[in-house]
Amino acid sequence: MMGLYVTQFECLVALWGIIILLVDAFSPIRDKRMIGYMAAGFVVVALLYSFMLQPLDGTFFHGMYRFDAFALFFKRLFLLALAFVLVMAAEFSPRIESGVAEFYALLMFCATGMLLIASVNDFVLLFVALELVTITFYILASYLRRQVASLEAGTKYLILGALSSGFTVYGIAYIFGTTGTTNFDTLSAQLSTLHAPPSTAFTFGMLLVLTGLGFKIASVPFQIWAPDVYQGAPTPVTAFLAVGSKAAGFALLLRVLYAGLLPVSGVWATLLLVLSAATLLYGNLGAIPQRNIKRLLGYSSIGHAGYMLMGIAAMNALGVGAVLFYLGQYAFTNLCAFLAIIATTAVTGSDEIPSFSGLGKRSPILGLALFLAMMSLAGVPPLSGFFGKFQLFAAVIERARYDWHYYVLAGIGAAAVIISLYFYLGIGRAIYLQEAEDATPIPVSPAMRIALYVCMLAMIGLGIFQRPLVDAAIKAANVFALR
Amino acid sequence: MEFILTVAVLLPLAAAFLAFLFPAKKPGAIRALAIFATGVSLLLTLYIFSQFDRTQSGYQFVHGIEWLPTLGISLKFGVDGISMTLLLLVGFVSFAGTLVSHEIHDRQKEYYILFLALTTGISGTFATMDLFFFYFFYELAVIPMYLLIGMWGSLPAGKHGRTKEYATMKLTLYLTAGAVLALIGLLSIYFEAGTMDIEKLQHNIWLSGTTQMRVFPCLLFGFGFLASMWPFHTWSPLGYAAAPTAASMMHAGVLKKLGAYGIIRLALPLLPEGARHWANLIAILACFNILYAGWSALTQKDWKFVIGYSSVSHMGYVLLGIATLNVVGVSGAVLLMFAHGVMAALTFSLIGFFYHQTHNRFVPDLSGLARKIPFIGVCMVMAVMASSGLPGFANFVSEVMVFIGAWQQGSMVFRVATICAVWGIVVTATYLLWAVRTSFFGPFDEKWNMLKDATTLKQKFPYVLLIAVLLTVGFCPRLLTDIIKNSVATIVDKQDVRGQETLAQRDLQQQAKVQQ
Repeated sequence: MMGLYVTQFECLVALWGIIILLVDAFSPIRDKRMIGYMAAGFVVVALLYSFMLQPLDGTFFHGMYRFDAFALFFKRLFLLALAFVLVMAAEFSPRIESGVAEFYALLMFCATGMLLIASVNDFVLLFVALELVTITFYILASYLRRQVASLEAGTKYLILGALSSGFTVYGIAYIFGTTGTTNFDTLSAQLSTLHAPPSTAFTFGMLLVLTGLGFKIASVPFQIWAPDVYQGAPTPVTAFLAVGSKAAGFALLLRVLYAGLLPVSGVWATLLLVLSAATLLYGNLGAIPQRNIKRLLGYSSIGHAGYMLMGIAAMNALGVGAVLFYLGQYAFTNLCAFLAIIATTAVTGSDEIPSFSGLGKRSPILGLALFLAMMSLAGVPPLSGFFGKFQLFAAVIERARYDWHYYVLAGIGAAAVIISLYFYLGIGRAIYLQEAEDATPIPVSPAMRIALYVCMLAMIGLGIFQRPLVDAAIKAANVFALR
Repeated sequence: MEFILTVAVLLPLAAAFLAFLFPAKKPGAIRALAIFATGVSLLLTLYIFSQFDRTQSGYQFVHGIEWLPTLGISLKFGVDGISMTLLLLVGFVSFAGTLVSHEIHDRQKEYYILFLALTTGISGTFATMDLFFFYFFYELAVIPMYLLIGMWGSLPAGKHGRTKEYATMKLTLYLTAGAVLALIGLLSIYFEAGTMDIEKLQHNIWLSGTTQMRVFPCLLFGFGFLASMWPFHTWSPLGYAAAPTAASMMHAGVLKKLGAYGIIRLALPLLPEGARHWANLIAILACFNILYAGWSALTQKDWKFVIGYSSVSHMGYVLLGIATLNVVGVSGAVLLMFAHGVMAALTFSLIGFFYHQTHNRFVPDLSGLARKIPFIGVCMVMAVMASSGLPGFANFVSEVMVFIGAWQQGSMVFRVATICAVWGIVVTATYLLWAVRTSFFGPFDEKWNMLKDATTLKQKFPYVLLIAVLLTVGFCPRLLTDIIKNSVATIVDKQDVRGQETLAQRDLQQQAKVQQ
């Protein structure tokens, strides 16, 4: 019974996905958008319900599964992302040729995998949950079958994703082979009894697992897929990749590194430091010449992976809290941007940045939403992205007192902030400073309007009244025994 | 009554949110709201000034709440003599800026919202007592500025070949670069000291010598970007030239002072040893500011570029005053920030007045304007006199204080710097008098026949207000210098005491080492 209780969100979301398929098969709902809105409504209810639950101590399913504050934090984050992505999918559905209901259902199954990821405490479950997410994304990314770009996105994601899954499972085999366990707690206990550095085979396995996770979060040097897939995939899928899949990657990374591999942190700390710096520079420099907004956001998502890696590399409680806060606000910010993009492209039909010219006049709400989202991504107060970056820098500087290399990382982060402001303001310039060629107003549906207002309020609210999310993040970060 | 300061600071922001709810079709109401908010804010600031205890040196009207205890952040406002002076400056300039904004006709709602947000960003930085919110408000001012320049600005095509979009992007990137650099320094201080409360930091915390040496350049150059310290000043004349009138006023008048204020408020008291170590560098850079920017101004033909370079040059005096690290010099710097702020706002508002009608601010194209617009001509002459440091204006008093402070400092570097700075006054007078003579006097050009002067009291009021402030402080400088000196003394004196202490400690340590 307890097992059912702790996995209730996974069960509910998967069940609802099946119901969507059945309803679509047996009832004549013409307007497929209604299915999407209903699913979104259901997820919102589930999200609200999740705030009535308390985290539980201990593990479930023979040590494989946790329902702690960290898990609950991420479950809420994924439900939130899912609700918004379903609204997006409903708005986007007229552009999908066939299989709209399956599109929703796949999103639900994908979210099931993410919900599992939040609770992973064992490498076997890690692999299963990761594959559930990745395989559904293969299909979702190539969902617009007649568009070459979408097919290309799906294929690229499939090939590189399969490769990284291979690395992960190979690495897990090495870790199991050298330590005899796949459970994070047992692994951590075993490693802490080590007095010498771990064996080469173990380190090799660990690096392979990090490769797989690096692919998920799109960190250098496993970032190549991100711009292409972001550009080609249907926009709701891109949004889910940016918000859900990235958060899932970070949830796993935090769990694996801090719950499982903390005793051997000496091996991976420097690696993360270097990766973080490289990711920051690659993502932000690569975004400068981009003319397609989805591609630009693809590079920007690499850059943001770099920022969050700063928090992980800092290896302190402040850093973990900062990463969690960042993921929370990043969800609202990115969702806001993608909602505005979907509403705009429905009329203009183009993802190129010049087609967003004069958006502030064509639709004040879309212009404002996209502008605020860009400014939040750039980290400008009073928006939430600012406080997220502030915390990450704080975590790095705290660490820098013991190791001056972290000052270099902070310096690179600072350079990245300035670079990123340049290209985010490039979009801001299109929205407000440039005139539209075609000045017809852009209609915004009520559901879209509500979603946009929620995102904007969240961005400004979390930027000024940071306390609720900071407290939740700290509570979740406390499951790891860090200073 | 403590919360009155909080109200004065946050009122414009509240008005901005309120204006957001107004329909865009009623620009008159939004403009009235903006005038009301900045006006009441000014009155409240004046009231605080009248109630200010002039014998005390510490913070007054302190009011705040805990904001984020886990990081030690609290939203706390308070003023001492330095921030009181600068808050008055914000009050006057923002009020005058709103009044002269009647020339804006396009997208007024957005304009006033951004202008009000900008005002709160600046006054919040001056009034806050918390490191986090210092940075928060400081950064809050940047994006409104970007949009104000980009959307309502104008940059006549010149040989520089730059657009207003280029100008505003450059400005934003420079300011952010400075801000992030300062952030790294501020965070280092926070983790070393364990508190974000500026007052506590100032009085109870003593950072180690090496930290001070390292962090000081972060703050100096970080804030120096905003204070347009040479060689990081190039964004500034371009930015002013492209900005709409009120944004130029706010920027040259007040926003730029944030940089110098940051150095005085944080870098000097928290890092006294670092300040002593780097003081000579500041003085040398200040000389470059004064002379290099002054000579650049000599070659400019666009009115706004002339004043833009002139204001970079004047920031050199402020930096020189800060570098002296003595009461007279630093107080002079603070007073000069006030005087120059009012003067720069006045000059830019006057330029805006005739540019709005002529659509030309190229000095050689204008001629004999004073015949058609005598009132503006007179005001401009007074502004130029103030800028050149004529007795009777606040600028004179403050510049003299800076010179005395720099000379008293005594070292060779400062003696030379003082001589350079005095020479800088001659340069200033040269280009300003040339600009006024060419465009306001001389033969009248018939093509300017359509110009209309400011005739009604409503039109004249903002200019009269600013000139009145300059003259009042010029004739009774003690109104401000008394309170400035008290507060500066706590910063500078403690520096001496602390410096001696540490020197003594260091001697002891060395003796101990020798004995070992």
